[in-house]
Amino acid sequence: MSTSRILAIARRIAQGFRRDERTLGLMFVVPLVVTALLGWVLQDTKDTVVDVVLVNEAGAVGDRIVTALTDAAAKPGSDIAISATVETEDEAVAKIRDGSGDIGIVIPADLLADVQAGNRPTLTVISEGTDPAAEVGRFGTLQAALADIAGQLTPPGVTPPIIPKVERKTVYLSPDASQVDVLAPIFLGFFGYFFVFLLTGISFLRERIGGTLERLLATPVTRFEIVTGYSLGFGTFATIQVIVLTLFILNSIAVPSFGPIAGYSTPAFSIGLGVDSAGSPLLAFAVALLLSLGAVNLGIFLSTFARTELQVIQFIPLVIVPQALLSGILWPIERLPDVLQGIAHILPLTYAVEGLREVMLKGADLTSTVVQTDLTVLAGIALFFVVLASGTIKREVA
Amino acid sequence: MTAAAAAPAVEAVGLQKRFGSLHAVDGIDLALSPGRIYGLLGPNGSGKTTLIRLLTGLARASSGEARILGTKMPSRKALASIGYMPQAEAIYPELSVGENLGFFARLEGHADRAAIDRVLDLVELKERKGTPALELSGGMRRRLSLACTLVHEPRVLFLDEPTVGVDPALRVQFWTHFRNLAAQGTTILVASHVMDEADRCDELLFVRDGKVIGRGTGAELRASAGTDSLEAAFLVLSGLDAQGNPIRQPGATGDTGTGPMGGGGPMAGGGRPGAVL
Repeated sequence: MSTSRILAIARRIAQGFRRDERTLGLMFVVPLVVTALLGWVLQDTKDTVVDVVLVNEAGAVGDRIVTALTDAAAKPGSDIAISATVETEDEAVAKIRDGSGDIGIVIPADLLADVQAGNRPTLTVISEGTDPAAEVGRFGTLQAALADIAGQLTPPGVTPPIIPKVERKTVYLSPDASQVDVLAPIFLGFFGYFFVFLLTGISFLRERIGGTLERLLATPVTRFEIVTGYSLGFGTFATIQVIVLTLFILNSIAVPSFGPIAGYSTPAFSIGLGVDSAGSPLLAFAVALLLSLGAVNLGIFLSTFARTELQVIQFIPLVIVPQALLSGILWPIERLPDVLQGIAHILPLTYAVEGLREVMLKGADLTSTVVQTDLTVLAGIALFFVVLASGTIKREVA
Repeated sequence: MTAAAAAPAVEAVGLQKRFGSLHAVDGIDLALSPGRIYGLLGPNGSGKTTLIRLLTGLARASSGEARILGTKMPSRKALASIGYMPQAEAIYPELSVGENLGFFARLEGHADRAAIDRVLDLVELKERKGTPALELSGGMRRRLSLACTLVHEPRVLFLDEPTVGVDPALRVQFWTHFRNLAAQGTTILVASHVMDEADRCDELLFVRDGKVIGRGTGAELRASAGTDSLEAAFLVLSGLDAQGNPIRQPGATGDTGTGPMGGGGPMAGGGRPGAVL
């Protein structure tokens, strides 16, 4: 073993670093930026006001609770607002569907009877059920309201207070849907975006540094033809990727137990996630494809700013990580600090996640304005990147 | 040599390309006649590649203009009649020999199988048609790169160091083919920093620091510099002695007639009495 050889190797690496500002930036600046972003999101997450729809099935007894809750909600600093009081559960569900309420609380018809019988009454809490991150926050906020209800139920001077039981209902999916059910649509968008961006970026970089782009440009080909050809070529593979992923997510093939794995369980295991898509898989596919088209052209555009494959990979923490943090996958967008909300609204993944959730979890179709907006914005973003990418392919490069 | 009666296939008038304070191409005038092979000779960094990129429209001139077959460059239409072999291999390593050729042929609008087989014969890669370019030797990749340039039978050929890494026997074949193409009317500009290929050209252009410092046949250039070799002639015309040391040689001007021209001194001084041929 020679110390000088070891030192020579270490020195070689340090010398390489010195000439490669980009890698230095990646090592020291990017982690700071990403950590700062993460810290910002975590610290400044806003407590948004939860819009509660009260369903009073209990008549006059319920009215007392409604009044008490309305008074509590009207106090300054309250995190809940009573957006409506209705008489049936169905009306509340309709309000949650159209977005005018976040949560429904049903005051049951047998409330008084239960309390008089000394039982704990059961309150039904209705939520969307498609965004666990958002709902955890809403349920937290709701605790105060439930305490108010308990206060109303307990006659003065009686201890312990009567604490109602809470039964969950969801508008979409089932109340005990797993994380997989809820996150599956997002996988579809996220992985498509990530891999397509990475592959196109590297592929186009190789055109630039390998001289083939120069040779291409010495033929009568137009920039638009190059960008469209790339979109079509990678789009085809993105399509296949989305199809495979969609099939895997939506289907579940049970593999029966046999041979060496027999006797453990039946079936032994299953391939695929078996998630129920409420809406049209084709529409979900359209959302994912538009997102991929944007990713192809973003890859072409960013390849201008890289000189090696490593440098394309270095874009991941800048391009992919912020989108993962801000696009509503981990934190609902409305709870992000204002500035970050602004950023979230220019990120393509935000619209894809929303669109995929609408279609796959809520069963929205093309008549839904949310889906229409998402598709339009995604198409717009894809077009924007097409123009941007074309702009980086110049016949007269210098 | 007489001025060609036919209109020049490649023309440059006062062509300049500046990168900041660097004059990569510093006022070059050219008129290349159809059916002739021109050698562009000069050391690395003398501006050969930039000149070719200006002529093909891959770079925009800071001033002056370039015309190919009478069309002002950059022009997408004119590109269909141009073949450009860049210094880099510029082929797709994951595609086979045949697929690479097919791709460039289609971009040029020549999806002709016979043409592909013809160039494959020429570069002796017919047996390798299905081989991924990745698995070819360096010389074979060079040959494939040339084939991609020739597949659409261009009328004007720009070859940037085409024979680097090509073995001597095949190099002879390349030149035979270049000669055949020229006989059919193709105009060829070959950039090189190897002087031993220069004598195969009809006419040479010595380039240094972005300027043409001499032009004529090999014999004319040697005679005007009073040297036995083109290397030495190049050094003398650059204002250097045979060892590459600077010498003062005032008044070494060229003429604009039929003879070759030298004249580093006056041109470097900004006056260009002999810069135009």
